[in-house]
Amino acid sequence: MSSLLQQVNNIMNKRVSLLLIIGILFSCKKDLPIIIGCTDSTALNYNNLATYDDGSCIFDTIIPYQPTPYAIVSPSGFPTMPIPENNPMTVEGIALGKKLFHDPILSRDGTQSCTSCHLQIAGFSDTNRFSQGINGSFGDRNASTIINAGWNIFNFWDGRVATLEDQAFDPIVNPIEMNNTWGNVENMLNASATYKELFRKAFNIEDIDSTHVVMAIAQFERTLISVNSRYDKYLRQELQLTPSELNGYVIFNTEKGDCFHCHGTEMFMDNLFHNNGLDIEPFLDIGLAKVTGFTSDNGKFKTPTLRNIEFSAPYMHDGRFSSLEEVVEHYNSGLNYSSTIDPLMKKLNIGGLQLTNQEKQDLIAFLKTLSEADFITNPDFTP
Amino acid sequence: MQKIILLILGCSLIFTACKKDTPLTTNLTINFIQTVDGTSLTNPDHPTINTMIYTNAAGEDYSIQTLKYLISDITLHADDGNTLLLDEVHFIDISDASTFSFTYQNVANNNYTSISFDMGLDSSKNSSNFYVNEDFHSTMFWPESNGGGYHYMKLEGAYANDSTFYNTHTGGTMGADYSFSFSTLGIPGSSLLNIDDEVGDVSININMEINNWYQTPNEIAFSTYGMGIMMNMEKQMQLQANGSLDVFSVTASQ
Repeated sequence: MSSLLQQVNNIMNKRVSLLLIIGILFSCKKDLPIIIGCTDSTALNYNNLATYDDGSCIFDTIIPYQPTPYAIVSPSGFPTMPIPENNPMTVEGIALGKKLFHDPILSRDGTQSCTSCHLQIAGFSDTNRFSQGINGSFGDRNASTIINAGWNIFNFWDGRVATLEDQAFDPIVNPIEMNNTWGNVENMLNASATYKELFRKAFNIEDIDSTHVVMAIAQFERTLISVNSRYDKYLRQELQLTPSELNGYVIFNTEKGDCFHCHGTEMFMDNLFHNNGLDIEPFLDIGLAKVTGFTSDNGKFKTPTLRNIEFSAPYMHDGRFSSLEEVVEHYNSGLNYSSTIDPLMKKLNIGGLQLTNQEKQDLIAFLKTLSEADFITNPDFTP
Repeated sequence: MQKIILLILGCSLIFTACKKDTPLTTNLTINFIQTVDGTSLTNPDHPTINTMIYTNAAGEDYSIQTLKYLISDITLHADDGNTLLLDEVHFIDISDASTFSFTYQNVANNNYTSISFDMGLDSSKNSSNFYVNEDFHSTMFWPESNGGGYHYMKLEGAYANDSTFYNTHTGGTMGADYSFSFSTLGIPGSSLLNIDDEVGDVSININMEINNWYQTPNEIAFSTYGMGIMMNMEKQMQLQANGSLDVFSVTASQ
C-alpha cells in the first residue's frame, strides 16, 4: 500500500519538474532561437551562437600525473621513519631529489651542488674540515653526514631545524655556501623543460618553487639508509666478528667505554645534544645554546650516527680530529671540564676512560664494523 | 500528523539535552613530582641545578643534572574489583615539563580505593626494541649485550666536586628484573576516590623522593659507584630495595 503511494508521489514530482522546464524554455522563446551546443568560451568546441549548453564541452585538460608511492620499510631496531604528511615519498620525487642533489644549478655561479660538500664516499660529508663556498669563504663547522638522516628529529650540529626539508632551505642561499637566491633558483629551474616535466611528474605542479625543491631533496635524503654493515650481518648471524671487534663491542656497550649512552640503538645516535668535554670555557662555538638561548646548552652539539664513521673523517662539529685514533684518545685522556659537560663523561676526574692500547684498538676495530662499503658506492644514490 | 509527532520528539530532545549542567565526564590528571628532602626539583635549565645543593644519607653533597625514568602499568583499583589501566608506560624527563603529567579522559564512574604502578618495566615489557616507536626508545635504551630492554631510571650529576660525576642508572642488568611495584592502601587525601559525573576533575600526585634511593635499608654513597653500576647487581638490588621501601608516595585531590 505504502509503496503504491510512493510511486504515485514520484510520478507527480516528475510531472511538476517537467512542467517547470517547459515553462523556462518557453520564457526564452521570444528573444533568441534555441541553439543547442557548448556555451563555455574556454572549451575547444565553444559555439558562440549556442544559447543552451547541452554538456558537450570538451576542454584541453592536463590529466594530473599520479606519482608512484614509495614505501620506506623501517629496518629492525629503527622506529618508523617520520615523514611529513605533506611530502609523501614517491619514486618520481626521489629521482628528482637525486638529480637536484647532484646538480650545480642550485648554486649562484653553477659550480657547486650538494655533493660538493656531502660526498658519497665520505658518508655524504666533507673530507675537508670546513667546507669552502662558491666565494671561497669557509664555514666553521664540518659538513654533517647524511646517513639514516630520515630518523633525525633535529638537523644541523646545533639542531636549529627539525626536518630535512627545512635543512635544505639553508645551504642554497647561505652566503658562504651556494650563495644563491630562491628567486634565481626558481627562474633557472622553470627555464628548464626537463625540470618542468620532472616537477610535474613528482608533484603535479606547473611552476617550480623553493618548497618543492627542498621537498624533493628531502625525499632523496630519506633513502640514504645504511643497515648492511658487518655489524648488521653479525646481528643477523651471517658472519662472526673477530675477537678484537667483539671485545670492542663489549667496551662500546658497557660503562667501560660508555659509547652507547649517546651512540645507542641500531641508529647509533640518540637524537639529543651533549657537551662531550671538547673545550674549556669560553666556548668558541656555543652550539645548541645559539638556538635555545639557554647558557645551560652552551657547548652542546647533536650526536652524530657512528654508522660509516670510518669514511666520514674529520670528526666532531668542527672537524678537529682527523682520525678515529684521535677521537678515542679524546675520550680516553683528553676530556676538558666545562660547566655544561655531560655527567655521562663520568671518568672526567681521571682524565677519561683510561683504556689500554689494546682496548683502544679493539674499540676502533668495532667502530669499523659499522662501515658499509656498498652504501658509499651505491649506484642508486648517483644520477 | 507525522510532522506533529516529529516536532514533539524534537522539542523533547532539546529539553532533555538542556536539563543537566554538571560535567558529564571526569578527567583524571596524574602529576609526577620529584623532590629532594621534600623540596621540589626544578627544571635543570635552572642555573642553580648544577651546584651541589643536595646532601645524601652518606653525607655527600651532590647536584642533579639528569633525571629520566619510566613508570609503567599505572592502574586504578575500584572497591568492586574492577581495575582501570591509565597508562601502560609513562616517560618522565626533568628537562621536559610536558612529561610531568598526563590526563586520562572520561574515567569510568566508580569508587577507587587504590592506585598501583611499576617503577621501570617488568620483564614482560623490558626487551630490546619493545618500545621502538616511543620517544624514550633512544634515550632509555639498555644494550642487548647487557640484557637488553631499557633503563628504568637515569639519575646523574656531580658530587664531591664539579668534575666528579655519579650515574645512577637502574635497569634489568643481564636480564634480571629489578623493577618493582608500588601500591597504595587507599588513596591519601581521599580515603575513597569517588569518581562520578557530579564530582568534576580529579588529580593524583605521584611523588619521587630522590634522597630515599640512597638511604634505607641500604645507605649508598656515590663514592662506591666506581666505573658505573649498570653491571653491578648488588647495587641494582640495593636500589630496588630502597626504592620499594619509601621512594614513592601518592596524594589525591578532587
